[in-house]
Formats: sequence, structure tokens, C-alpha cells
Amino acid sequence: MSAPPTDLAPPRNTRGGVSPRTKRKLTMSTARPWLLLAPALLVLAVLLLWPLLRVVLFSLQDYGLREIVSGRSNYIGFDNYAEIFADPMLWQVVLPNTVGFAIVAVGGTVVFGTLVALLLASLSRGWRTVVSSCIMVAWAMPAVTGTYVWIWLFDADRGLINGILLGTGIIDDPQNWFTDRWSFYAIVVLNIVHHGFPFVAITVLAGLLGVSKEMIEAATVDGAGAFRRFFQIIFPTLRPVFAVVIILSTIWDFKVFAQIYLMPGGSGSNRSVLNLGVWSYVESFAQNRYGLGSAIAVLLTLLLLVVSVLYVRTLFKEEK
Amino acid sequence: MKKLRIPLAMAAAATLTLTACGGGDGGASTNAEGETLSVWIMQGTNPDAEAYFDEVKTKFTEETGATLDVQFIQWAEAHDRFVTSIAGGTTPDVAETGNTWTGEFADAGALAPLDEYVTAANLDGDLVEGLVESGTLDESLYGMPWYAGVRSVIYRTDIFEELGLEVPTTWDELVDVGLALKEAKPEMTPFAIPGDNGYAAYPFIWGNGANLATKEGDTWTSGLTSPEAREGLEFYTGLATEHGLSSAGATTWNAKDILDNFVQGNLPMAVMGSWEPPAILEQNPDLEGKIGAFPIPGPDGNISPSFLGGSHLSVFESSENKDLAWAFVEMMATGELADKWAEQTNYFPGQTSLLEDAVASDDPLVKPFATQFVEGGTSVPVTPQWGAVEAQKTLPAMIQSILSEQKTVDQATEDAAAEIEELLNGN
Repeated sequence: MSAPPTDLAPPRNTRGGVSPRTKRKLTMSTARPWLLLAPALLVLAVLLLWPLLRVVLFSLQDYGLREIVSGRSNYIGFDNYAEIFADPMLWQVVLPNTVGFAIVAVGGTVVFGTLVALLLASLSRGWRTVVSSCIMVAWAMPAVTGTYVWIWLFDADRGLINGILLGTGIIDDPQNWFTDRWSFYAIVVLNIVHHGFPFVAITVLAGLLGVSKEMIEAATVDGAGAFRRFFQIIFPTLRPVFAVVIILSTIWDFKVFAQIYLMPGGSGSNRSVLNLGVWSYVESFAQNRYGLGSAIAVLLTLLLLVVSVLYVRTLFKEEK
Repeated sequence: MKKLRIPLAMAAAATLTLTACGGGDGGASTNAEGETLSVWIMQGTNPDAEAYFDEVKTKFTEETGATLDVQFIQWAEAHDRFVTSIAGGTTPDVAETGNTWTGEFADAGALAPLDEYVTAANLDGDLVEGLVESGTLDESLYGMPWYAGVRSVIYRTDIFEELGLEVPTTWDELVDVGLALKEAKPEMTPFAIPGDNGYAAYPFIWGNGANLATKEGDTWTSGLTSPEAREGLEFYTGLATEHGLSSAGATTWNAKDILDNFVQGNLPMAVMGSWEPPAILEQNPDLEGKIGAFPIPGPDGNISPSFLGGSHLSVFESSENKDLAWAFVEMMATGELADKWAEQTNYFPGQTSLLEDAVASDDPLVKPFATQFVEGGTSVPVTPQWGAVEAQKTLPAMIQSILSEQKTVDQATEDAAAEIEELLNGN
């Protein structure tokens, strides 16, 4: 939460930040921005902070259906958190799956998306429209539909992939790709990258079109190759764009749920593929243990905050 | 100022215990002129539910003077809807509750006990045992048995006839029939073992004389580690791993996948529910007259018990006029309307006297299920905590890990038993 520097704070009445003069006198002109912002801030507080606070309060309770019916609270301190941390499932399966998957998926999405953006940037206007419309289709596809397409492709008995592999003699017996942890997540990565790369591509493309052509031309004249041009001119210019893209992808990929829950065995019957999202659902909400579920949600929020802060720090460090 | 109203409205919804019915001061159940009874019914059970409930509405208004407000709820979202409505105090007066949920909601204090009404209506002993059991918590009945279904084996009569196969009546015969099908119809999966469907496996545990869990004193003990359970599971999963009667894909199938594949003609027989034939025929009319059913065989003859899945009608504690609510429940769950519902939905009625007609039927798609229902219908362990075992998918996880050969039967049953005991005894 400490991420935005002070110059992003709302009242930007005087250029150059807070001066001693404005601090002394609370005149109408200093109060006005806050007054104007008040309704929006109030709505934010009610819609965002209050639920957040409720979640934290729930996480300190043994909160189930019985408590919902009676409306009583049932505080148990940090027992929910203790239970989560004591579960070997979390350390052996859930966390490695979640973190490992997020790293691979974010990397895959960003790299592939950037490559597509570079391709788009080098196309003529007409072709750019055609190609970007095509990749928009992947983006526009609902997660559920997309997931089922991948399930069908990899279906053990009648899927296209198994059909090809059997036909070419690479495998002898039909293989169920969803029972093994690694092949299961390979399919999820394909699904997520396929669904996530258009956002990266379009965002990076918007940034690419803003990179000064003169600079690139000058670098080409000076003998810089494609790699050098990308890493020494384009990437530094697009640093803020990459920051946004990476942080958002990380957040999305950490809490991926539907794409795993809907896969064969992904809803809990295959324990080796549980991730944080599905695990918290199975352990808590499906059993009406809302307190435990809230505790997991709080932990996930904290984890993502830490990750986001680290990203922002490293990406902007050199500029300062 | 408009924005300030949002939190106020939210606070009001959360704190006030609003009853869904608009009724004010009502009288006796037979004269509830001007009152409205709100009812939630699950969607999809009856293909022609609208027409059925139009009739119910007319009849209900005739008898009680009150109006009926029926809302249809999707099964998939129903549990969440119940929980949020309980939290927000917007529960209906009466709702259809899945029989594995009734105990859970009753345990939370959301449902009203029905014993007195049942006794007053002379229905004691006329309700289907398995459904009474699952609707009972601490010796009080919270769910009125409405309808139920049971799983047996649905098979393709045309293929059995073509190959001259007899319906299997023992486990050995099941293997023989499966192997014969495998040889004659290599493109089909003779007997799919779905890894993500515990209900299809229970008969092979119960049929061999084992239990999922039993209560002694205050402690639940799981019977999954008993030699009988292990032998049953060894046989069941062995149909896939040893005899190759299942497919690689079936390791991760659920009940819906079984239905889809049966409809597509990939399965000559499969453990399926008594409510599924209409869905099969609707999706593939070519199978008309080509499907039949037989009870799940026991190891050496007889019938393996199968789970009675069904619905109760429950009255919510927050209902303002429980007499009126019961009048509706009684009308729906007994007599003519209940009979009609069962007939239209292909389920069995929850009233024993009505069930006898179904047992006497000689419809090839009714009789075997009726036999299974009466002679081999049973319930999962009766405790509100069983919902947690379902939610954790303890048994599907056990079966899937055996099918994918990640665990041996001994290891898988041991893990599953430990998990069941922890969930049922813990907390």
C-alpha cells in the first residue's frame, strides 16, 4: 500500500508538491480538492475498505453457517492461520504449484505477448488490424469456454493431441494428461498464456508505437542489432508498461481458479494439482468454513502486495 | 447524497430479518387469504415444471386461499443461494433441499422441525426410510421426503442382444460380460470407472459388506480399511487396471462425462441414475427402445446397495406461517401431486404407499431401478459433517489415485479413512 509516491496523492494544487505555505493555512483553495474527492473516497471506503476489513475480521473467527444464521461472532484468535500453516498440503503441493505456475505463466505470457507486439509493430496498418483482431478473439473468449477447448484437445480417449501422438506412433496407449501434475500444469500454462497474451501484446504495442523512431534509426545507423535495439532502447522506454503488465499478470495468475477447477480432476479429486485458489475453495467455502477461507484470502492478498511492491521497486529503482 | 443510500440499504438488508413472504397477519393454514408463500424449487428435475406448478398454484390457492410464488434455482448455484439468503435473512418459506444438505442447514438452525406435522398428518411409517434417515438430525425430522433416485447399471439392450449376452448377476459375470464386450466392440469402453464420481463406487464397498463410516459412542470410524472394503475396491478399480474395461480418459470422468459418453454411444453399460434415461433419450432419440437397466450385482448374486439421492422439502425457521408452509409441503410430497411429479421426472416418490406402484411396474426402465431402490437403497453416513467429506472429494480422490496408479488400494484406503475420520470427528 505504500507504493504510490507522494506526488500521486490527490491534491495537486500547487506545482512542486507540498510547500510550507499551504501547510500553514487551511484555506478554501486547499480544502476544495478534498471536498470534491470526498464522495468518491467515501464510496471507495465503503465498497473496498469495509469488505476488506470484514474479511480480516472473519479470518479471526470460526465462522460457519451456524454463525451466519445466528449473527453471532466467534473469535478464535489466529487459529485459522495456525491451521493453514500447519497443513503439509500447503507446503508440499499448494504453494509450489501456485508459485511455480505463476512464474512460468507470467514469463510465458509476457515474453510471447511482447514478441507478438513486436510483430504487430512491424506490420503495415492493414495487416496490423487483421492480426490484432485475430488475437483479440483469444482474449474475448470466456475463460470457461477456452478451458473446455483445451480439455477437448487433450482428451484422453478422443482428443486431437492423443490421436496425433497415437497415429504417429509416439505413444502406444492413450495417455490421460490430466492425472500427472506436470502435464496437467503444462496444459494450464498453455491455456493461460493463450488467454493472457493478447492483453500484453496490445498494451506493449501501444507503448512501442510511442518509442521515438529517430532514436531507433540512429541506433540502426550506429550498427545496433535487433536485440540490442530492444534491450537498450525499447525496453527502458517501456519500463512502466512492463511494470503494469507484469504486476497484473502476476495477480491474475496467482489467483487463477476456473481454469484449474474445470479441468478433469482439477476440482479436488486429484490432490497433486491443487493450487491456492482451488485449495482454499475446497478446504473452506465448500465446507462452509468462511473463517478459514478468509484467512487464506488475507494471506493471498499480503503475498500479492509483497510481490507487487518488489516489482515496482526493482523496475523503477534505476530511474531514481 | 445518492451515494450514501447504498451503505444504508446494505446495512438494512443485513440486519433486518426480512421474510421473503409478504404476508402479514394470517390465520389458520386453510384460510390464508391474501398471503403469499414463497418456494424455491430446483431447476431441471422436471422437464415440464412450468405446467406442473401452474396446476399446483391453482390447487394451492383453492385449498388455502394463499398465493404461491415459485422460484426455480439452478442446482449448481443452489448451495450458495441458500447460504447467502440465510445470511441476509431472505430465505423462502419452503425450499427443495438436496438430501445431503438438509442436515447441514438444520444443524445451522435454519430449518424448522416437522415431526409434529408428520404425526398429525398420519404419515409416520409411510415415508421412505432412506430419505427420512438423511432428513433427520438429533432425532428430529427437518426434511420431508419428496422424491429420490438411485443408481443402477444402464445398458444397451441392442448390443447385449446382438452379442447374445445375459445381464450379469454376480461380480464374476460382470467381468465376463465386460470382457466379451471388449472383444466384440473394441471401439467402446465396456465398463467405465469414473475417477471423479464416488457414488458409482459406493455399491462395490457396501456390496462387499463394508461401510464408509460408522458411529460408536461419539466417535466415527471409517470402514474403508477393512478387508471387505479393500476387496470391493480392488475389484472395482481392477475392472479398469487389471481387466482394461475402462479407458484412460475415464480416470478423470465425473457423472456428466458418463452421461455424455453414453449418449454418444461410447458405453455399452455404466452405473447411472434412475433419473437419467429421459436425458439420454432426449439427447439421442436413436437410443429409444435400445436401453435397459439392471440392479448393481452383489459379489455372489443379490444386489449391491446404492445411494438414495434425492430431495426433501424443508420449511425454513424464518417462515412466518409454518402451518401454511406445511400445507404446501404435504400437498406436494404426498398423494396425487407427488405421484404425478414422480411420474414426470422419472424419480421415485418419497411416500412408501406411492412407491409400491412403481415397484409393481414392468417398464424395463423403471422396474430394475425400483428393485434397486427398495432392496438396495441406502444412505451415506448421516451427519452434517458428511458434507465436508463430499466437499473435499475424499472418495473420488481415493479412486482416482488408484486408477492413475499413484497409490495402491491399501495406501489409498488408509489415507481416505484417516481423512474421513478427521473430518467427521474433528472440529
